[in-house]
Amino acid sequence: MFNILSLVFKYIFIIIIYLFIFSIIRLIYLDIGNMNYDDTDNSAYLKLINKMEDLPYKISEYYTIDEKLTFGRNQSNDIYIKDPFVSKRHFQIIEDEGDYYLEDLDSANGTYLNQEKIEDVVKLRNGDIIKISNIEFLFVNK
Amino acid sequence: MKLENKRIISVLIVFCLSFIGLVGYMSYFQVFRAEKIKQNSYNKRLWINEENIVRGSILDRNGTVLAYSEKQGDEIKRYYKYGRLYSHIIGYSYREYGKAGLELTYNSQLLNINENSAINEIINIVAPSTVGNNLELTIDHGLQEKTRNLLKGKKGTVISMNPKTGEIYSMVSLPDFDSSRLKEDWNEIAEDPNSPFLNRAIQGLYPPGSTFKLITTIGALNTSNLDLEYDCVGSVNVHGYTFTDYQGKGHGHLNLKSALVNSCNTYFTSKSTEIGRDTLGRVAEGFMFNNKIPFDLPVKTSSFPVNENIDKTGLAAASIGQGKVLATPLNMLLVASGIANDGEVVQPYLVKNIVSKDGKMLKTTRTETLSRGTSSIMADKVKDMMIDVIKYGTGKNGSIKNVQVAGKTGTAENASGNSHAWFVGFAPADDPKIAVTVLLEEEGSSGGRSAAPIARDLIIYALNNIKF
Amino acid sequence: MIKKGAKSRQPRNLLFLFEALSLSLLFLYQWDSLEKSTYITAIGLVLIIYLSNFLLLKISDGDQYIFLIVTMLLSIGLIMIYRIDEGLGVKQLLWISIGILTFYLTYFVLRYIKGWRNWGILYLGLSYLLFLFTFVLGSRIKGAKNWIKIGGISFQPAEITKLLLIFIIASFYSNKEKYKDIKYSNYYLVGIVYSFIALLFLQKDLGMAVLFYVIFLALQYIYEEDRKLIFLNIGLFLAGGLLGYVVFDHVKVRFVTWLNPWPYIDNKGYQIIQSLFAIAEGGFFGTGLGLGHPYFIPHADTDFIFSAICEEMGLFTGIGIIMLFLILVYRGFKIALRQKNKFYKILALGISVLFGIQSIVIIGGVLKVIPLTGITLPFVSYGGSSMLSNFIALGVLQVASEDLGLEDEHYEIGE
Repeated sequence: MFNILSLVFKYIFIIIIYLFIFSIIRLIYLDIGNMNYDDTDNSAYLKLINKMEDLPYKISEYYTIDEKLTFGRNQSNDIYIKDPFVSKRHFQIIEDEGDYYLEDLDSANGTYLNQEKIEDVVKLRNGDIIKISNIEFLFVNK
Repeated sequence: MKLENKRIISVLIVFCLSFIGLVGYMSYFQVFRAEKIKQNSYNKRLWINEENIVRGSILDRNGTVLAYSEKQGDEIKRYYKYGRLYSHIIGYSYREYGKAGLELTYNSQLLNINENSAINEIINIVAPSTVGNNLELTIDHGLQEKTRNLLKGKKGTVISMNPKTGEIYSMVSLPDFDSSRLKEDWNEIAEDPNSPFLNRAIQGLYPPGSTFKLITTIGALNTSNLDLEYDCVGSVNVHGYTFTDYQGKGHGHLNLKSALVNSCNTYFTSKSTEIGRDTLGRVAEGFMFNNKIPFDLPVKTSSFPVNENIDKTGLAAASIGQGKVLATPLNMLLVASGIANDGEVVQPYLVKNIVSKDGKMLKTTRTETLSRGTSSIMADKVKDMMIDVIKYGTGKNGSIKNVQVAGKTGTAENASGNSHAWFVGFAPADDPKIAVTVLLEEEGSSGGRSAAPIARDLIIYALNNIKF
Repeated sequence: MIKKGAKSRQPRNLLFLFEALSLSLLFLYQWDSLEKSTYITAIGLVLIIYLSNFLLLKISDGDQYIFLIVTMLLSIGLIMIYRIDEGLGVKQLLWISIGILTFYLTYFVLRYIKGWRNWGILYLGLSYLLFLFTFVLGSRIKGAKNWIKIGGISFQPAEITKLLLIFIIASFYSNKEKYKDIKYSNYYLVGIVYSFIALLFLQKDLGMAVLFYVIFLALQYIYEEDRKLIFLNIGLFLAGGLLGYVVFDHVKVRFVTWLNPWPYIDNKGYQIIQSLFAIAEGGFFGTGLGLGHPYFIPHADTDFIFSAICEEMGLFTGIGIIMLFLILVYRGFKIALRQKNKFYKILALGISVLFGIQSIVIIGGVLKVIPLTGITLPFVSYGGSSMLSNFIALGVLQVASEDLGLEDEHYEIGE
């Protein structure tokens, strides 16, 4: 009896081990896109505060901001998110003489900076938290 | 990207490659190397099965037990009841020295373990075998003993078989060894210059000498417009080389029959050019030269130079079984059997039945035709000549009162200086029941004088005692 | 709303399934001699592993994979050890529980006590002290004098020293500026590491010596600005290896039996050939748990556990283990790449290299790809001290996977 079980189980074990490896690789694959975060050393960047794994769409953990960064549902944006609460063009960050400014682009659900809905262009400070729908970004500018 | 991170990534790549390399090597190892490594005799797993299975017995054609295993406490011991008598047939199975003979060929049947395959693997595990299967041989134990007694004191081999069915009745090769005393005798056996481990009947290649003239005779019968008459003066020059007859005496006027009866070398060598290499080769191959003979034990392949460029001298030498012709005694037995069996060569075999422990017949060997050596008419003609060889010719020592024997003697020259003595034949000639080959290695005397009497005594015993 | 942790649940459940199935199979295997305590411990283990994976998600916002991968390795190893020796299996369960506790302890201690990178001298002193202990109190096991016995518990000090080595190197390179004024400070580090390696050589602990060397070489390659020092390092090692081959018989034996073990089948080459037999016998799917003959393999529960696993669980499980180590090392490097705090970055690197090279050296060794040196397969082999030290290393890696950059800001400013 044990012999038969053992024979069957050896295949099951291998299947489980490989499923396990596969599921971990899949999780890792989901964040493979941000191997370029280390460009952030000398410039400003947005860091995702949510756990990437918790978001049901493709998103990176770090986004560097060069001169301009746009956010929205449309693919033409630098960051585009397939979330129904995100407008086609939602907000943008613009650099001007070393400072960074956040501007809401008349989005339907608004952009929040440190829990406050912004109405106009706002200057960003290191450590600011930008929230859109339930996605939160940390603004880092050393 | 910063230099530091670049370096980190290159170290990571080295690690990844190392891991992938390990995976690659493991797969290579498993696919290409594992099978051979597993078979190493130091692998204790190989013997795990055997330690728990009572190996099957080996019996002769009448049910006489020749080898068996018995449980003694925790250990299972193998007994070879007749020590030396079956050393070249049954062989041995020892943990230290491995396996040989039928013990090797029929190992999985004797252990009743199944060959590797998914389903059999499950069967092996779910219902592991505890008692192996028995082998019933074609050998007649009485004849085997008789055969060994006849050969005793000589170096060589004697084989007998049923020419119609292919059953081997006896097979003895000397020197032999004691299967039951292998541990004690191993070093002695291994160092013996006469190689007792060699089964001369199937592993020895010898020039067949005049016994090969049977083939040349069929070749001559198959050559149209060949002048079969000849005047023998005791020697002949073929293309610059002089062939002489035994003791240099001329045989006078000869036809094909009287040439074979007197085993006239000059006759066959001088006709060989006309018969030609192709015809001779075709007949030889019809009798399994240059062909692998399927058998229960590994057989060396006899050779006739069909593809080599041999000159007329070489062909002349080949026509009388010298030069580049080499044959195993088993192959010469098949030549005699083929002639006895209306030109049809049947497959020889040793294992008649495989029987399970509870008496169920698992496998029975049936007679199979290997090849057609020659036509039934030609076979009859040659058979007549072979009868006269015994009656009036070189094989007189093989004759038996009341039984017509057909045969051919041979005295083969070889590098050692002492010629091999050959005899091939069968009896009774009108309804052959047994065919025999005798080879006495480096006997230094003629086949008619030393080999034929052995065959005669064997045939007498066999016809009186074997249940055919 | 998004389901929190939905995706990491899948591997966790697979792990749970694997453990449940294999443990019940093992219980069946040893049904007659099964004790109640075993039963309870096993269920306890499954719970501990499941819960700690779950808890870690709540406690740490760092990497969630490494602990998961490690628990899979633990499970495979434990099953094999239990199958070989029931008593040892129960002990291993205990070690795993202590190991997991150590992991959490390490995590919290490192998280809430600051200043680790400044205590290089302390690590150094501790290392030499451990070596001294080994020589004074050491007992010989398997021909190597690298164990000390305290109150009935055998302990291998080098398992701790290997972590101290990583801390020493990390503290050295992250305090580079401090040592800048000291002439030849780089050479001092080389000297220190080589003194360790020489001491290990004397203890006949070749596996550990190789480990120390590779960790040092990898970190040196990444951080040493004086590039010629790296070549010096490689040159020194080759020369040392050659010297060791000539002077020490045990080095020569390893090398000779690696090139061709078959002539020494019943003496020097016995171990490696038994390992090859086992792997060959296992085939792709193995013989099935309990159906092979791992008893024929020497040290099947420690150094040769990989061969035993291959025999009974198959080549595919063996490849699975290699892949698990590959992802573990990959995650470790990923953590290092992401870490901004230099000290922790080097620690993460050192630990990843440690896991990587240790598994490569022993797996390669039992496969006869490289000369065999006796070390354990991390998290899989039986062994208390290696289990603890590996869990401490994992705890450090877990801390390093978190965003420490902002907290340690004041150190950065100081530079």
